[in-house]
Amino acid sequence: MLHRIDSALQQADVNTPAPPGSFDNASIWQHMSAALHQSLDRVLTQLIAVLPGLLAFFVALAIFSLAGALLSWLSRQLLGWVKFDSRVTHTIKSDWAPSSSPSEIISRVLFWGCVLLGLIIGVSAFDTSYATGAALPISLLPYLTHAVGAVLLLIAGILIARFLARSVLISAINAQLQYARILSLGVKWLVLVLTAAMVLDHLQVGGNVVELAFGILFGGIVLTLALAVGLGSRDLVSRSLESRVEHAGERTNIPDDATTASRTIRHF
Amino acid sequence: MATTSPVPEDTSIAERSTADLLVLVSAMPSEQLARALTNLEAAFASESVIVATPNELTGEPRRLRMISTQQSSSGWALAPTDFVNAAQYGREHEARAILLLGPGADSLSPVALRGLADAVLKASIDLAIPHYSLPPHAGLINSAILYPLTRAVFASRARFPLAIDLGLSLRMAEQLANVAQSISAANQVEALIWPINEAVAAGFTIDEVDVGTRTMPQPSDPDINSILSLITGSLFGDIEAKAALWQRPRRPSPARRMANDVPGDDGTADVARMVSAFQLAYANLQEIWSLVLPPNSLLLLKRCSVLDAASFRMPDNLWVRVIYDFVIAYRLRTINRGHLLGALIPLYLAWVAGHINVTASGIPAERHIEAVAAAFEADKPYLVARWRWPDRFNS
Repeated sequence: MLHRIDSALQQADVNTPAPPGSFDNASIWQHMSAALHQSLDRVLTQLIAVLPGLLAFFVALAIFSLAGALLSWLSRQLLGWVKFDSRVTHTIKSDWAPSSSPSEIISRVLFWGCVLLGLIIGVSAFDTSYATGAALPISLLPYLTHAVGAVLLLIAGILIARFLARSVLISAINAQLQYARILSLGVKWLVLVLTAAMVLDHLQVGGNVVELAFGILFGGIVLTLALAVGLGSRDLVSRSLESRVEHAGERTNIPDDATTASRTIRHF
Repeated sequence: MATTSPVPEDTSIAERSTADLLVLVSAMPSEQLARALTNLEAAFASESVIVATPNELTGEPRRLRMISTQQSSSGWALAPTDFVNAAQYGREHEARAILLLGPGADSLSPVALRGLADAVLKASIDLAIPHYSLPPHAGLINSAILYPLTRAVFASRARFPLAIDLGLSLRMAEQLANVAQSISAANQVEALIWPINEAVAAGFTIDEVDVGTRTMPQPSDPDINSILSLITGSLFGDIEAKAALWQRPRRPSPARRMANDVPGDDGTADVARMVSAFQLAYANLQEIWSLVLPPNSLLLLKRCSVLDAASFRMPDNLWVRVIYDFVIAYRLRTINRGHLLGALIPLYLAWVAGHINVTASGIPAERHIEAVAAAFEADKPYLVARWRWPDRFNS
């Protein structure tokens, strides 16, 4: 291909009638064609050097994804056969209850672990083949690993934000706080903003601007929440403090078995 | 307060005598224990009775033979170690019947104690369950969820599935001790509602004994949020564990006679607060409820949310569907289980508000509770269907 381009350029050079007395123009054409030739040569060489690496990347990813799917299917069958879910449910009891069954989690971890391994091996193969090819300074390759980390951070941040927002919402509703939704949204956005700042920092995007913006935004949200809760529950707090003081004064006079209206209902 | 004595490694040879009845009494203040022992002496004047207690064995000599036992971990309900101890001491003393008495058992009359023991000693019942007479607005979690759900799912007529006093035959005690050991080994501290369901599952004979009024011990944390989550979580977990059993068609146990209501306060002062809690939750928890409840239930909840406190009612069939859908969501882990049980609290408060209004209108509380339980039984096919094919909302 290069040979053909070269001959075409030479042909164009030969076929072009040189104007009388234009020795300098011919020299320029020769220099231009030489420069173009060299540039094209360099780019094509680099592309050819990268192609095996890319191919290796996709092959590694495909093979490990298939292996992951197979392992995942095998683990699901095996764990189902030994009744792993019921055993774990009876053995480990905690407040943290994921939305998927333990065997499902294990099979997913196996699959995505294999995919991640394939990704790492593919990137490594790409890196190796590229380094042996040409010394083109490329900044995307190290960025890829940062990008994977950033995506993981983002997913974790979103999950944590959703979990905390729900926890706060339900607790606040059961405490009959009228501003439960605002509180929940505030917590959610606090975590999301924190996550976004961490992701950008991990990607090394923005530098000090991100830190500064995060500080301002985070502080702003906290201040807003503090003002909202403080102003909204000012009466509640003052009533609570007053009643506490009154109860402290009356404690000696009130018998322990004094009944109130709310005590007529016993849930248990 | 009660103090515990060091746990003996083994009972002495002198103590290894046979007895008609073994009574395991939970730790309680010494004056309460004295009252409980007096009642036991009055109830069992002619039988040989051994009383095992974690309290210190001091005080005036009694006709009852006393032994020391280990204090259970739970302060307000029977703990798995109680069943293990019951089986162990029952075996050692060749007891024909075992009485497990929970905290506050001094309020049980001698007649009640006699009735529980006689069910095992004379009627050859394996598990005698007490039927307490509580005020209309007491034990509401039991009335709203535990009793109707247990009755529908396990075909058990136990009015108090979370009984804190039990009469056991020795073979029943052995069976429950085996299960209790596995629960203790797995450190399942939240396992509360399993003994009666286990007896049903294992096919033992069960009967209910009227024991009259009793002072119910309250959990250390009386907050409704923690109590409801703990108790309903325990029952939902047991339903999940015994799914293979209750999905098989079972003949329900014979209908029990309806107990008379114990007069009590009407409690109407709390209805407005509970209804407003439900309305607040309806305005804010739609996102979570819609993950658990089908559209039909959400529509009915919407209609409830616009009712004022005085006329507030929660239809029985809606309450049944709500509980069944929460059981399904608990099994499927649709959302985090802590969140799920937290989201149930406002709905439970709405049921309580409706129940108080129903009883205030002149309908006896017990009749309303029986109607709710009957609705649970009638709608059990919905639970079975959704348990097997959970993706389909049969609204």
